Amino acid sequence: MIEVKPDIEFKKQLKRISNSSLNECMQCGTCSVVCSLAPDDKPFPRKEMIWAGWGLKDKLIGNTDIWLCHQCGECSTYCPRGVKPADVFSAVRELSYQHYAKPKFLGKILNDPKWLAVAILIPVLIISAILFMAGTLQIPEGPVNYSKFFPHAWLNISFTFLWLLSMGLGILGLRNFLSDMKKQNPEIKPTGSFLKNLFSIRKEIILHSNFNTCSAQKTRKTTHLLVFYGFILLLFVTVFAIYAAVTHKYPLAITNPFKIIGNIAAIMLFAGLAIMIANRIFNKKDFGNSTYTDWLLLISLFLLTVSGVIVEAARFLNWGSAYHLYFFHLICVWFIIIYLPFTKFGHLLFRVVAMVFASSINRKLK
Amino acid sequence: MKPVLVIGGGISGVTTAVEIAEVGKEVILIEKEPYFGGNVVKFNNYFPKLCPPTCGLEINFRRIKQNSKIKYFTSTEVQEISGEKGDFKVKIKTAPQYVKNNCTSCGKCIEVCPEERPSDFNYGFTKTKAIYLPHEMAFPYKFNIDDEYCKKELCNKCVEVCEYNAIDLSAKKEFAELEVSSIVVSTGWKNYDASKIENLNYLTSKNIITNVEFERFIASNGVGENKLLRLSDNSEPKKIAFVQCAGSRDENHLPYCSAVCCSASLKHALTIQELYPESEIKIFYIDMRVVGRNEDFLVKVQNNKNIELVKGKVGKINETENNNLILEAEDILSGRKIIYEAEMVVLATGIVPSDLGLDLLKESNGFHNIDQKYGIYVAGCGKKPMDVSASVKDATAVALKAIQIN
Repeated sequence: MIEVKPDIEFKKQLKRISNSSLNECMQCGTCSVVCSLAPDDKPFPRKEMIWAGWGLKDKLIGNTDIWLCHQCGECSTYCPRGVKPADVFSAVRELSYQHYAKPKFLGKILNDPKWLAVAILIPVLIISAILFMAGTLQIPEGPVNYSKFFPHAWLNISFTFLWLLSMGLGILGLRNFLSDMKKQNPEIKPTGSFLKNLFSIRKEIILHSNFNTCSAQKTRKTTHLLVFYGFILLLFVTVFAIYAAVTHKYPLAITNPFKIIGNIAAIMLFAGLAIMIANRIFNKKDFGNSTYTDWLLLISLFLLTVSGVIVEAARFLNWGSAYHLYFFHLICVWFIIIYLPFTKFGHLLFRVVAMVFASSINRKLK
Repeated sequence: MKPVLVIGGGISGVTTAVEIAEVGKEVILIEKEPYFGGNVVKFNNYFPKLCPPTCGLEINFRRIKQNSKIKYFTSTEVQEISGEKGDFKVKIKTAPQYVKNNCTSCGKCIEVCPEERPSDFNYGFTKTKAIYLPHEMAFPYKFNIDDEYCKKELCNKCVEVCEYNAIDLSAKKEFAELEVSSIVVSTGWKNYDASKIENLNYLTSKNIITNVEFERFIASNGVGENKLLRLSDNSEPKKIAFVQCAGSRDENHLPYCSAVCCSASLKHALTIQELYPESEIKIFYIDMRVVGRNEDFLVKVQNNKNIELVKGKVGKINETENNNLILEAEDILSGRKIIYEAEMVVLATGIVPSDLGLDLLKESNGFHNIDQKYGIYVAGCGKKPMDVSASVKDATAVALKAIQIN
């Protein structure tokens, strides 16, 4: 006897987010065969589809395979019943961010458009409060110098503190995620340390080789690489900037190598994001259903990139509205970085942890 | 009293016409091919008793021949239907009848005919001369000339050799207008175009055939003449795989179940086992939908240790260098992917209703079901997918409806 515990509320959420009529799946297994990543043993997504039809939350949340899927959409293209397994997987991932969110309300407000205003208001209030404490909550006189508005020491310390806090909360969620994945694979004992397994998947992370098999959406690998490396480079430049603010004459000149790298990275981000957004708008057939969570990440990253470039220009050109723009840019940065574990940006953490776990139980993709 | 018109002379149309005539009402039976019998006559054998089709059809053809109430026309199509229940006017067009009815099918013309054409009866896998007998049991039993391949008067060899003066190469299309009381549409079906299922590579792999082609491959008067031969190298395959629901139950192709393909594949598997008892057969299915007495075939197959039923739809077929075929499916029961190398693959393609090209009311997916108030009825697979015995029952029921209109 197998005990089945359907979670009807979970199933309703899955249906709503994925826009899939879950129960029309007839378990033919076409999806598992056309998937270019599914392993030969216990392939996905056919088994996940029957769990979804039954509303088996325990099987889907904390499932490793959900995170090995790269969302190429071949399963949805060939599905004879139009139940869109790719969109169902995407919806399970979205529900996973909410499930593992600590505190819970952050998961809720970041995945529901009703709470968007609150989600934006939090960083606005935090930044305003810090500026108030620093005593600089006003538009400074003279040529544009952002450190007059937000003193570097205040910025760097407060931002680092909040970032560490958010990552700490994220790690709590990831620990639960990892323990759920272990529970779902009781028969296999994981081998190797986290770092060793992380090292073994380095190639996939660096080269994005699993994206190669995406025939339906050829641009995905390029755009993801652009955004991925654009973001990493900017992160690198930002860390340098924190250091430079103490040791160098700051702000850096436009000809400084770090400034140049930063600007190239901004162009990479902009190009990658613009194509991603265009694909989701104009090629719905191949790119599937785009949910609120997809748009929240894409649009916030896009606003971050665009506002960053404008803020830079405003400084050089001494625009009157420079400080307002800077304030807006800071909200974007804080929104994205502090909320990282609770939005789709969390895939950065969840996917890597799932890939590391898969490596530790020797679950290899095709 | 006006006659009933039956459009389409397959098993449903022939049955309808015979049933109507035998209760004493006049009936006109038209068929677009030069022979009667439709799809069924091309089969190796048919359900439920696995008779060769010539057996069941021959009785019906004799009933047609003996009954003066039936007028029949081959190579004839409907052009236009006007009027209403009880008073239809139907324009028909008959292709040029180059071979007259006094043809004795002696075959002298075939010997001299220099032109060849792909045999439509064998789905193009064999060839005939441009003048040909549609098949050995053809009714009407007379030769036919393929307009597309015959050079007509430029060649004229058949005319010169015919002792009975039965060939007239100057024959023209004929048009006629019929007045009928009611109409039975029994235009039947064709199988789904397997080339549209791109992941199954039907077009590029010679050793992938469809189920209807398989019937011609295995039939004694077919491609292999009672042997199953691979097209790539003429060898006799020993590992054969059947792919169920090739296009059926699929939103991207035919969203409905074609109802007969499961039974057909079971029949085919057993036929292969009879011919080659050592052969290894796998049938990949989503659900085995076998109803009524056909379930006996399922039991037989389940008891045959050389036939394996695999629950899982084939999602991919790739050809190897020696023209074998690698099938991929997920075995749903074990949760493992199966990668199987077969020497021949049969795609169980489904039933697509023939399009009459007329402005008739259409139900979903191209099937017709016309309300009685119109005086037009649909019999057989134009209504829904069904096997021979169901078609015959349906035809009889429709005959009863059609004769009530005067």
